[in-house]
Amino acid sequence: MNSIQIKALGFAAILIIATIVVVTKMNIDVIHDSVNAITIGGAIAIATLTAAVAFKYIGQMKTDTASGELSEDNWDGIGEYKNELPSGWAYTFLAVFLWSMWYGLIGYPVWSYSQIGEYNEEVKAYQKKFEEVHKNADKETLQQMGESIFLVQCAPCHGNTGDGLSGKAQDFTKRMTKAQVLAVIKNGQNQLGYPMGAMPPGMASGEAAEKVAEWIANGAKGTPPAEFAVCASCHGADGKGNNGMAPNLTTYDLPLVQHVLEHGKKGIIGTMPAFKGRFTPVQEKALATYIQSLAN
Amino acid sequence: MFHWLEKNPFFFVSGVALVISFAGLIEIVPNFAEAARPIADLKPRTVLQLAGKEVYMKDNCIACHSQLIRPFKAETDRYGEYSLSGEYAYDRPFLWGSKRTGPDLHRVGRYRTTDWHENHMWNPPAIVPGSIMPAYRHMWKNTADIETAYAEAVTVKNAFHTPYGPEFKKGKDAWEKHKPKVLEDAKKIVADMKGTEGMSKEELMKQIDEGKVPEIVALIAYLNSLK
Ligand code: HEC
Ligand code: HEC
Ligand code: HEC
Repeated sequence: MNSIQIKALGFAAILIIATIVVVTKMNIDVIHDSVNAITIGGAIAIATLTAAVAFKYIGQMKTDTASGELSEDNWDGIGEYKNELPSGWAYTFLAVFLWSMWYGLIGYPVWSYSQIGEYNEEVKAYQKKFEEVHKNADKETLQQMGESIFLVQCAPCHGNTGDGLSGKAQDFTKRMTKAQVLAVIKNGQNQLGYPMGAMPPGMASGEAAEKVAEWIANGAKGTPPAEFAVCASCHGADGKGNNGMAPNLTTYDLPLVQHVLEHGKKGIIGTMPAFKGRFTPVQEKALATYIQSLAN
Repeated sequence: MFHWLEKNPFFFVSGVALVISFAGLIEIVPNFAEAARPIADLKPRTVLQLAGKEVYMKDNCIACHSQLIRPFKAETDRYGEYSLSGEYAYDRPFLWGSKRTGPDLHRVGRYRTTDWHENHMWNPPAIVPGSIMPAYRHMWKNTADIETAYAEAVTVKNAFHTPYGPEFKKGKDAWEKHKPKVLEDAKKIVADMKGTEGMSKEELMKQIDEGKVPEIVALIAYLNSLK
């Protein structure tokens, strides 16, 4: 062993030790993550190659003398030995050549890789896992999930706290304002796609409308006023929407959130876009859970 | 054995070019020919939307916003379906952009609405706390150039056969005939606006009645068309 070989060995050893230190210190999962495994494998391979090259060729450089058969090419007296193509190279070249012919003529045209295909598979697999994991999600999980979706998708309009940015969108800390209810009573409404269909205009007027609207705006607490009787046939005696036949007027329940997400809504506050197909059933449930929690 | 190849650079270069072209031919061309066509039901932008697109380019929204959703789950969760090249077939130029200081806008028409844009363009941090997007209040004062937008539509129709209707013709008369349609589109946008401190809804309507479309109206029409 000469000094250069020792230095090379030391260098390789440092590389390997550094790799191991980094991996253990940063708590990197090498076994289950293929990308990490490949990276570590690469690092070790580089270290090993460095050591091997140092061992074999550096020694050789010191002791070898030039010999062999000269080729006929000669440039101003500088000649070149005839060197056979190393067989490893030749075989690799042949293999790559064959593979490229296969890939160009058969592999790509027939089994073409597509980014979209990969995306579709990834999303499908994720969705399946997601539904499975959260099939029976508890309330706390739903609430957290709902909050994170809300902050990304809904907060730009409804505000980070869900207060509707002082009148620019629905305020989730309460159900509906008096003005909103009065507007619906006056104009009717038909955009949410409830089984009951349209709410006809003019179901109440004057004082009766005021009273009903006031009761809903105050949180629909206690027994409804007598004037609510006309509304009860569709919205239920307690205003809770008759099991999803018409909107629940007391809270943002799951059917309401689902209908609004599917159809969007245009009211006196503004326009809410539809989010049809953007959320899975679990995510819709999570949103409803979170929005309901804002009222308290 | 292959020395003759090494000694003949012209042949060698041609060979390499041939091999690479072959790869390009089978990998790029078929895909390109397929993807560059307009997707089914793609409609060219209306004159008002084109005028809005001019505003978008003039005010350099592309410096902070891209219009290209990549097929990654994280992106499609946030913005909606990934973009297809056929969707840009009538965009000249397309505004893919390459910088996302703000979010992608390729499908913003699906999840933002007229009244939201109105508030947001007037004062972004009031709507999105901490937003570093600048306010664009001059858009309420400036008038969008709908006439040039019409000329653009006629030009792309004649030059590239973009499917605009037969009423899109050269000349002042054709434009005067089409102008009421543009103003009507603008009124539909204003109908969904709420008015800001800068300009009330009535004032916006009045301007349009005078034949002037404020830039903000055209821009919102354009943003709403990004679906
Ligand atoms: C014929 C059945 C029917 C009657 C009677 C009725 N509603 Fe409705 N109501 C509906 C339906 C259906 C909807 C959902 C409309 C839609 O799809 O947009 C609705 C929607 C509403 C909404 C809007 C809810 C929301 O979240 O957008 C309010 C408020 C409301 N009704 C209040 C009342 C009041 C107050 C009365 C009584 C004066 C009343 N309704 C009577 C069927 C009815
Ligand atoms: C572009 C702005 C915007 C976005 C984004 C938005 N909303 Fe809304 N939303 C509104 C507006 C405006 C209203 C009030 C409409 C009206 O009644 O005038 C509203 C109303 C609602 C209502 C009440 C509907 C009713 O009938 O009482 C619900 C529930 C709702 N949004 C849920 C959501 C959820 C969940 C999200 C996120 C996935 C969301 N919104 C995203 C603007 C938005
Ligand atoms: C300095 C960079 C910058 C410029 C220039 C800029 N924006 Fe933005 N934009 C942002 C940032 C940051 C956000 C995210 C915060 C927010 O919503 O305000 C944003 C958000 C938006 C949104 C909301 C998108 C969403 O999904 O919530 C719209 C729409 C928008 N910008 C339109 C425009 C238009 C139109 C222009 C040109 C007139 C423009 N922006 C110019 C930085 C910029």
